[in-house]
Amino acid sequence: MDGSPLAKGINPEEQEEFFIDILDKEEALSTLSITVVGASGDLAKKKIFPALFALYYEDCLPKNFIVFGYARTKLTDEELRNIISTTLTCRIDKRENCKDKMEQFLKRCFYHSGEYNSEENFAELDSKLKKKEAGKLSNRLFYLSIPPNIFVDVVRCASMMASSANGWTRVIVEKPFGRDSESSAELTRCLKKYLTEDQIFRIDHYLGKELVENLSVLRFSNLIFEPLWSRNYIRNVQFIFSEDFGTEGRGGYFDNYGIIRDIMQNHLLQILALFAMETPVSLDAEDIRNEKVKVLRSMKPLELEDVIIGQYKGHNKGGRAYPGYTDDSTVPKNSITPTFAAAALFINNARWDGVPFLMKAGKALHRKRAEIRVQFRHVPGNLYKRNFGTDLDKATNELVLRVQPDEAIYLKINNKVPGLGMRLDRSDLNLLYRARYPTEIPDAYERLLLDAIAGERRLFIRSDELDAAWSLFTPLLKELEAKKISPELYPYGSRGPVGAHYLAAKYNVRWGDVGGEDD
Amino acid sequence: MSTFSSMHSPSYSHSFICSSSINEKKNQRFVFSSFPRFSVPANAKVFLQCQANSHQNAVLMQDGAVATKVSPVEKETPIEKLKSELLSVTSSNEWDEKAGFDINENESTVSITVVGASGDLAKKKIFPALFALYYEGCLPKHFTVYGYARSKMTDAELRNMVSKTLTCRIDKRENCGEKMEEFLKRCFYHSGQYDSEENFAQLDKKLKEHEGGKVSNRLFYLSIPPNIFIDAVKCASSSASSGNGWTRVIVEKPFGRDSDSSAALTKALKQYLTEDQIFRIDHYLGKELVENLSVLRFSNLIFEPLWSRQYIRNVQLIFSEDFGTEGRGGYFDHYGIIRDIMQNHLLQILALFAMETPVSLDAEDIRNEKVKVLRSMRPLQLEDVVIGQYKSHSKGGVTYPAYTDDKTVPKDSLTPTFAAAALFIDNARWDGVPFLMKAGKALHNKRAEIRVQFRHVPGNLYNRNFGTDLDQATNELVIRVQPDEAIYLKINNKVPGLGMRLDCSNLNLHYAARYSKEIPDAYERLLLDAIEGERRLFIRSDELDAAWSLFTPVLAELEEQKIMPEYYPYGSRGPVGAHYLAARYNVRWGDLGLDQSA
Repeated sequence: MDGSPLAKGINPEEQEEFFIDILDKEEALSTLSITVVGASGDLAKKKIFPALFALYYEDCLPKNFIVFGYARTKLTDEELRNIISTTLTCRIDKRENCKDKMEQFLKRCFYHSGEYNSEENFAELDSKLKKKEAGKLSNRLFYLSIPPNIFVDVVRCASMMASSANGWTRVIVEKPFGRDSESSAELTRCLKKYLTEDQIFRIDHYLGKELVENLSVLRFSNLIFEPLWSRNYIRNVQFIFSEDFGTEGRGGYFDNYGIIRDIMQNHLLQILALFAMETPVSLDAEDIRNEKVKVLRSMKPLELEDVIIGQYKGHNKGGRAYPGYTDDSTVPKNSITPTFAAAALFINNARWDGVPFLMKAGKALHRKRAEIRVQFRHVPGNLYKRNFGTDLDKATNELVLRVQPDEAIYLKINNKVPGLGMRLDRSDLNLLYRARYPTEIPDAYERLLLDAIAGERRLFIRSDELDAAWSLFTPLLKELEAKKISPELYPYGSRGPVGAHYLAAKYNVRWGDVGGEDD
Repeated sequence: MSTFSSMHSPSYSHSFICSSSINEKKNQRFVFSSFPRFSVPANAKVFLQCQANSHQNAVLMQDGAVATKVSPVEKETPIEKLKSELLSVTSSNEWDEKAGFDINENESTVSITVVGASGDLAKKKIFPALFALYYEGCLPKHFTVYGYARSKMTDAELRNMVSKTLTCRIDKRENCGEKMEEFLKRCFYHSGQYDSEENFAQLDKKLKEHEGGKVSNRLFYLSIPPNIFIDAVKCASSSASSGNGWTRVIVEKPFGRDSDSSAALTKALKQYLTEDQIFRIDHYLGKELVENLSVLRFSNLIFEPLWSRQYIRNVQLIFSEDFGTEGRGGYFDHYGIIRDIMQNHLLQILALFAMETPVSLDAEDIRNEKVKVLRSMRPLQLEDVVIGQYKSHSKGGVTYPAYTDDKTVPKDSLTPTFAAAALFIDNARWDGVPFLMKAGKALHNKRAEIRVQFRHVPGNLYNRNFGTDLDQATNELVIRVQPDEAIYLKINNKVPGLGMRLDCSNLNLHYAARYSKEIPDAYERLLLDAIEGERRLFIRSDELDAAWSLFTPVLAELEEQKIMPEYYPYGSRGPVGAHYLAARYNVRWGDLGLDQSA
């Protein structure tokens, strides 16, 4: 809270008043225009428009709002509405009036066709927006759902020609934010020519996931976890992401980046930072992001020997042939881009010194899963040691936050098997979201769009965070490419290359997700 | 510390916990797969098998590596000695004696005499428990069961009586009929007076016949009223003790009414028995989740750091029954709920809950720690107790009787059928933490549970999400002993959705869902332990003394001052006084919350 414009009025009470004001008086006098740049793209159709509709359905959008699609394709408003309406869905728990609501929503959707680097076209957009705003206070949100090479052009045109004159203008950008420290810094520099830091909303949709949001709640609103949250009790932490499909003919973008850039450097690292950060002064965006940056800056850049990479190869199972990565027609035949990676990271601060933070991410694995696993240490001087067999690692407590699918929190504890003997086993203290919370969990994009509209920056990535994140991965990425390190090949649908186990074993860790039993 | 060289950070070696855990790992050479208790059919080895699975330190070393015998203290109490005689398998070089032990086992017999065989407890609990042990293959090869009581009965009549109450575990009903017949063939009856040495001498003769010259071990289960305890013990010990094996006596509560009568009883028992022959049973200690309490604390890293005044705000031990004395208040009226439930069951659980880590899981080590807890406690003060008695209540057309409507209860009885109390342990770990107990009959539900309420989160970032009552927002660990065994931990969690609403959700372990096996009755475990000489779950004389000295002054005061109990309707949640008592120590009873998940 250093008096920067970002922090304005974000102490809790003021924030509440701020909202009340919006609702009561200003809302009638202000408008919100959301422009989806790249409206004909996949992400826009699958995620952004449905999220906007869900927000509208839930009454989370301001009273006066309009949605504009912007892309090069020539479309009429009606055609855009047609495209959108095929992907809109209602939350399962309340389907009433869904049709009505949908029609009302579509009436507020418009389209403007234009080039991404044409100031003229954006000026046309501006005049259309002005017409809709009808002299009210105008707030404008641009969602850039476009390839990275045209980011800067769009930002330039939008900011120069279509910025709001009397309200705020914010720009949401999606990954990739560069390929390494230099390109990322270059991108940030260009963005900042046209935008100030507080106008840039770098989205990492993993931060909008329910259980990632809940991570801070678990840590900071329960007494029982925080005392355990350090090297004294935690043996290792694992961040695991797996997909059960490959690039499936859309490897063009991916091949230029690889799994480390696509998943680890952003999603998993962000979760790691949230997991490991010190208690922030408050829940305000700047306070949280300050703590996250501190974690990132306390970390050692990743070493080549602490990484293993893999790439999936073709595999026949049950009479079906699954393609290898390089069988994808959009991928060069000799590509050595990793589709799998595992890495060990360390945080050199007082809380985490020596605790391995392991990451694992892969495509075309045996299942789809994103989870955080916290393995606790052995019980010192365990009275029940002889009940555990030789492998004491199997007998430690473990906290698992399953981010997707099928959100759940469970804590593995040692428990006496009921009966006359003294046999111990590991049982779970469970919280299965599906059973506890019947409402559908909102999509990450809904939360993030809502936050961007409300100016809540907690879940967006600040420039210095991004720099710190890149500086951890850039040396490694360069080395991998310079030395042309071949990935270990693993069959499509398998559990990934065995190298991941050796990496874990090096730090005395056992992956929690590939245990013998149910995990 | 060479093991650390592979670790990433040199500062690791400063961490005590880390180093110990790593060393553990390196030194861990012996394999202790979890001996499946019942995996071996009932043959000669079964007795041994059972022993290996209980807590005994006499451990079956699988590969002869040096045993980490966990009780390094050299205290050769008679009990220790006895145990090493009984279970002489304590180190690798003695491992070879296993075979010898097996032979011994063939040569020895156990006779279990249920004194008071025609009584209710015997019929409902003891014989069924013995049968269950037999069914599970946990009894030694040679055993006989004798019923002893005053009624005239033949063996066949006893068998008939016993057979009516035997049940098989639901999870394996095979051969149940057959097994039952085999078991009944080993049941006999001897009729005699409880104070007649002659009659016990006759019993002795019959037992000898069955023992057929083998090593004879004898267990007497006294299921008789307290006024004839001593007589029976005297006769049994002087006329029916084993000549060449062990003789043990299980006694049930009440162990006196106060310090003096309890001490007198102990003194009288000790005239005829040594401490290690006396097995004072508290069947609550045989309950699955009470057994599990130590496992939770000591085999999980995550609980022990929290187990102190620094994190725990209060602990609640709650017992409720949903029925009254129902025409059987004669015994109860003489004792009251404080003696019947609090001074023994709840206090025992409290001691297990609060004790320091014992040196080992040996009976003496655990009981030493429990006594320390009891001796660190302040005797209960009158102002820290609320008593109640249920009155009649009509609901849905049914009239439920008051306590004093019970024919066996005096009309003007002041005996409490409900009590709540606040206790304190004045030691470094627990100073200032209220331990609240609550026990009652004729309440709205049947429940026994331990609730651990944790402190508020200091400097909670989410305070404004909790409204004014921060007490509603603390973590709570609940161990539900009965019915429907479960462990759950209440945590604050974000309600999924776009806002930031928090609620209290449970991390659950519901036994019925997790473990398909039926949980054995407490009596099975306790009988088995007595046969094996495992004293962990039985109450030692000094424990009993310490327990009485906490409650005796307040009991005397209640009676002298004829303190009126607060009346509460049959089937209600008990007298409101309990809330005021809790409020005085800034506690809110966890079981009477509004929300369902309580």
